[in-house]
Amino acid sequence: MQKISVIKLWVAIPYIVLAVFVLPILIIISSIFGEWSENWSHLYDYVLFDYIYNSSVLVIGVLFVAFIVGTSSAWLVTNYRFPGKDFLEWALILPLAVPSYILAYTFTGLFDTFGTANIMLRELLNFEEQFSLFPNVRNLSGAIIVFSFTLYPYVYLVTRSAFLNQSQSMLEAGRLLGLNSFQVFYKLGIPIIRPALIGGLMLVAMETLSDFGAVEHFAIQTFTTGIFRTWYGMYDIQTAMQLASMLLIFIGLFVILEKYSREKARYTTKSSTFKPKKVNTLKGQSAFLAFAFCFIPVFIGFILPISELFIWMYSYNMDYFNEKFWETAANTIFLGIISALLCSFFALIINFLIRLDINNLSRVVSSFLSLGYGVPGLILAVGIVQLFVWLDRYFFTGSEIILTGSLIGLIFAYVIKSYALSNSTIESGYERISIVLDESARTLKTGNFRLLSKIHVPLLKTSLLTSTLIVISEVVKELPATLILRPFNFETLAVSTYIYAAEERMIQASAPAIAIVLVGLIPIIILTKMIRSSRIGRQY
Amino acid sequence: MKESVLEIQNLSHSYENGNYILENIDLVVKCGEIISIIGASGCGKTTLLRIIAGLEKQSRGTVEINHSIVSDANFSTPPENRNIGLVVQDRALFPHLTIYENVNFGIRNLSSEIDIPLEYLKLFKVENLSKKYPHEISGGEQQRVALARSMAPNPDILLLDEPFNALDKQLKTELHNETKKIFRKKNSTVIIVSHDIEEAKFFSDKIYKMKNGQLAEMSIMTKN
Repeated sequence: MQKISVIKLWVAIPYIVLAVFVLPILIIISSIFGEWSENWSHLYDYVLFDYIYNSSVLVIGVLFVAFIVGTSSAWLVTNYRFPGKDFLEWALILPLAVPSYILAYTFTGLFDTFGTANIMLRELLNFEEQFSLFPNVRNLSGAIIVFSFTLYPYVYLVTRSAFLNQSQSMLEAGRLLGLNSFQVFYKLGIPIIRPALIGGLMLVAMETLSDFGAVEHFAIQTFTTGIFRTWYGMYDIQTAMQLASMLLIFIGLFVILEKYSREKARYTTKSSTFKPKKVNTLKGQSAFLAFAFCFIPVFIGFILPISELFIWMYSYNMDYFNEKFWETAANTIFLGIISALLCSFFALIINFLIRLDINNLSRVVSSFLSLGYGVPGLILAVGIVQLFVWLDRYFFTGSEIILTGSLIGLIFAYVIKSYALSNSTIESGYERISIVLDESARTLKTGNFRLLSKIHVPLLKTSLLTSTLIVISEVVKELPATLILRPFNFETLAVSTYIYAAEERMIQASAPAIAIVLVGLIPIIILTKMIRSSRIGRQY
Repeated sequence: MKESVLEIQNLSHSYENGNYILENIDLVVKCGEIISIIGASGCGKTTLLRIIAGLEKQSRGTVEINHSIVSDANFSTPPENRNIGLVVQDRALFPHLTIYENVNFGIRNLSSEIDIPLEYLKLFKVENLSKKYPHEISGGEQQRVALARSMAPNPDILLLDEPFNALDKQLKTELHNETKKIFRKKNSTVIIVSHDIEEAKFFSDKIYKMKNGQLAEMSIMTKN
């Protein structure tokens, strides 16, 4: 009897998790059917058009630049050999470690009139102080550059992997039919990887629309800043939720498109007559151009912000690495570890149930839960606050607030946002464990729990560790949800960076910002290992 | 007269598309008997083995082990509760466990004074490998370990699915001789699925041929 109840509890886990995941989203969407306050006429008359215009221009601009940078650099590193190529092949993903808001802070720190780059250049050229040698970056164009150079790795990663799987024979046929190497790239290379490419671009679009820190720093009115201002400026949560619903619908479209593209990409990249890529060696000017083209994104997206952060840190004599910093870092790591363990646990149980093949519903639930990564942190935070206020009011009597403003909401948001990362890592780990091992274990008198604990968990050790590390680095970067859901006086590295940057105390912001980037390097190291192993049949 | 260990009655199994792979199978295997099922690839012999093991559920008919029904059209005892041993072609040794731990995995009789895994490792002449991991030993050695592992929990029936297929001829002959001696010594009840008639003749008391989803006993002289 005990065994049966344990199994039943396992089977129920995905549905419990799903219900908990979906509630905040449902609360947001249900606001559409609620009352539309008078503030809407103000929004409609003054800012709604700006939100739509700025968000649209931002997304289109970022998609365009990320497409050019991501696909071209991926094409160059997969098809050509040139000086620095081995370094650039993995270095091109380094900007993923730098959250957009940190690049935005360093951009203003570098290119404002009294920014580091302007001062250095003025001193070098002996110019007077009023001369600004760089254009203003606190505008839409600046934001497009910031997002493009932190998010292009999403496009680079998927297109690089798709280019590697492209049939060499097909590309050679193109050359024989009279196409030059550039035409082979845009007439054959790009169209064939279209599903993977769209998937990568949709991730870029979702991340751009979800951002709060960078657009807020550049004072650009978008949906996310609008939601924040309506809530905290007008104290109108209902209107904020209605704005969030609109944004959620847009993002929902991108999520569906990304999912659909990913499914299609699976079918288009497999070839039974795979022939390893032939890599051409570039020399002279073309080698230099290829190097420069691949180096510039790494320079703008990683080297530049890191250098600026180190310059700030150096000028502050490392004083910021004080007790408060370590406390903030400990808070962040604590949240990261708890969220990562929960994500990994849920992903493990759900994938185990899928493997047991009890019913197809677990698979459907898992796909649904994975959509959480597309929901902006800000929207999740709004939904969770509403949910917790309601729970506090109806379930916990008295004046004490139990859930609202507690760490539970924060962990809740992190788990919803990061489940997809754990799921994909553990899912691919499970794919490598032969089902024959399960069957052998079964005939050796092994029940579900023993199968999971003695066979699956040890064999999934690396996947579980990877999942934990990736989620920790994601949690460390998350800003808007943390900003809203954190308990009073509780700071994380991201919040600390944001508060200092909001007060234009960029030098003080450097220590937590550097810590965020360093933790962000963890998944990069993991990805680098994967990139190296994906180079099967390397021929130089 | 020997007691029957396995009784299959009127067993049929169909795919989701309705095509039958097994049709009205009847089979009785007695204690200590070694039988072989031979047939072409895809004829359903592995499916029958999987149904006996509880890894698949039949569409119709019953499977009895030691006179208890373990599965019928509505009910199926899970594999872990059937006391069955299974060896498959690719050995399926647990890569994260040592050879000793692999053989010890299915043993539940922890109070036994005898070191059961070691006893079986000695029986299959691989006791010197006990501290190694599966990837550190050869294919033939892995097969010996897989056999030792499946026999160590003292199963009522041992199911072998093309167990010697991946081995070269010399190794196969060597292992055939040793394994048969062990089966006889331990009075094991064994069902071997194979496509090799010589292997079937060598091992078996009875040989069954599977064709078009049906099982028929062959009147071939076995080498007993």
